[in-house]
Amino acid sequence: MSAESFEGVSRDALEAMSVEQRDALPFGVVGFGPDTTVQIYNATEARMSGLDPFTVMGVPFFDAVAQCMNNFMVAQRFEDEPDIDAIIPYVLTLRMRPTKVRLRLLAADGATCRFILIER
Amino acid sequence: MNDKSSEEQLLEFLYACPVGLIECDAAGDIALMNPHAMQHLLPLAGARDASNLFAAMEQHAPELRSIAAAHTAPTGRVCDGHRIFVDLGPGRRAQAPKVLACTVVKLAPDRLMVTLSDISQQVVQEERLRQADTWFATLLDDVDEYAALAIGADSRITSANACFTRQTGYESVSAIGRNLADVLEGDQSGGDLRVEEQVKIAERDGWHLQEGWQQRSNGERYWCQRLVVARFDYDAPSPSGFSIILRDVPRRQEAVDDMRRLLTCDHLTGASNRRHFSQVMEREQGQWRELRQSLSLVVLDLDYFKAINDTHGHPVGDAVLCRVAEACAALLPPRCIFARLGGEEFGALLPRYDQIQALGLAEEMRAAIADLEIQVPTGPLRVTASLGCATFDEVGGSIDALITLADERLYAAKRAGRNQVCHSSARAA
Repeated sequence: MSAESFEGVSRDALEAMSVEQRDALPFGVVGFGPDTTVQIYNATEARMSGLDPFTVMGVPFFDAVAQCMNNFMVAQRFEDEPDIDAIIPYVLTLRMRPTKVRLRLLAADGATCRFILIER
Repeated sequence: MNDKSSEEQLLEFLYACPVGLIECDAAGDIALMNPHAMQHLLPLAGARDASNLFAAMEQHAPELRSIAAAHTAPTGRVCDGHRIFVDLGPGRRAQAPKVLACTVVKLAPDRLMVTLSDISQQVVQEERLRQADTWFATLLDDVDEYAALAIGADSRITSANACFTRQTGYESVSAIGRNLADVLEGDQSGGDLRVEEQVKIAERDGWHLQEGWQQRSNGERYWCQRLVVARFDYDAPSPSGFSIILRDVPRRQEAVDDMRRLLTCDHLTGASNRRHFSQVMEREQGQWRELRQSLSLVVLDLDYFKAINDTHGHPVGDAVLCRVAEACAALLPPRCIFARLGGEEFGALLPRYDQIQALGLAEEMRAAIADLEIQVPTGPLRVTASLGCATFDEVGGSIDALITLADERLYAAKRAGRNQVCHSSARAA
């Protein structure tokens, strides 16, 4: 399992990567702060969602972009659990089409940036 | 503006839309949907297929499929604001129930447009409005017969109308300047809220209405509807005072009382029945949540009761149950509930009792039962009971956990030799 794979990459490694390195990953990467505002939105995710990263940065992720995850299955877990590393099957609405994906939720107690990785 | 940016704008608009939008075919297969729709649909779907509307709704709104099928016209509105009650996720018992409104429009024989929106808050408000409507309607029927009081932020009475004197017997002049709670010191039977607790809720919610016993100056009780409404000055963040309206509601007739007895009491012992017990427990849970008002539960089970039935027959067993219920109910203050929960198992709900007070009362009940003598042909018959005691504070206000803990302690009392009260976790373990 590679240190840069969907399943293998660590939260710390994602945070330490350059923008270019994250853009080159084959899966979507969204990083957001404790207030859910988007800090990182990689090129892969932008291609899948059809959104320009510049318009997504700084907006509250679960309210403005990913309402489909604003429920107890995803958003609530980041509220309740300081440490998460979980992979869950999910259905997103990328470009308004129901799309089966796998999500990896990553949060660490003490680290301000949380991640959601999206694999189509 | 080039094409790309307008498509992006459209996507942004749909991603951010706070109402769920779905387009599907007649079989429910979804072609397009926005994230808000998925926010609700995916948890509803559980293990079922979230990309089919009817499959996803199968558990919570199975009627949706048949409503759509019954709409045989090629186009038109299939349903408008159809309500779906959702019971999912952690904390669902603690929050107001989630309600979704679903509207379906048929655009063509094989094309449906669906909206989903969360109307939980709206439903809560409707409930309150309905209550208020009913109340104001009764008020207007008899507009002179309500007593109106006003208090300032310090709870002192600033005005009282003439009806207040007629209804309560207190001179309005002498009430002014006094603390509201001192004047309206009601009868607390049934675990009703005190007027100062109503004021606290009105401060938060704007108003609070309750029905219960009230006392006139001569000590006579009357059934009273009591409304507390917060008064705000323009932009002030907290209320400047409250208005209190009291209405003397003629006591229900005997027939109604009989009906209530039938519905709430155990036919043999006259104690409350299990259903009434659960209802009161749920009401008390609300008060624990809102005001942290303590509640204790005592469960008791007669020792070796089966042997009494076997030796002396069921009529004697029944007489024992009646005497036990009578003896225990007599020890309880009016706001407490004594109920028969099953064969020879009883429960006492003690609002505002902390653990020590509840333990004291449980011990009195144990002693009263042990003192009973039931005459049978072979001589006097004596019984004992084992009791378990628990409080809401110990279990964070959970009804299930309260019952479980009290039951565990009841069985610990049995194991420790019967005819005793068990109240501590150490002995229950």
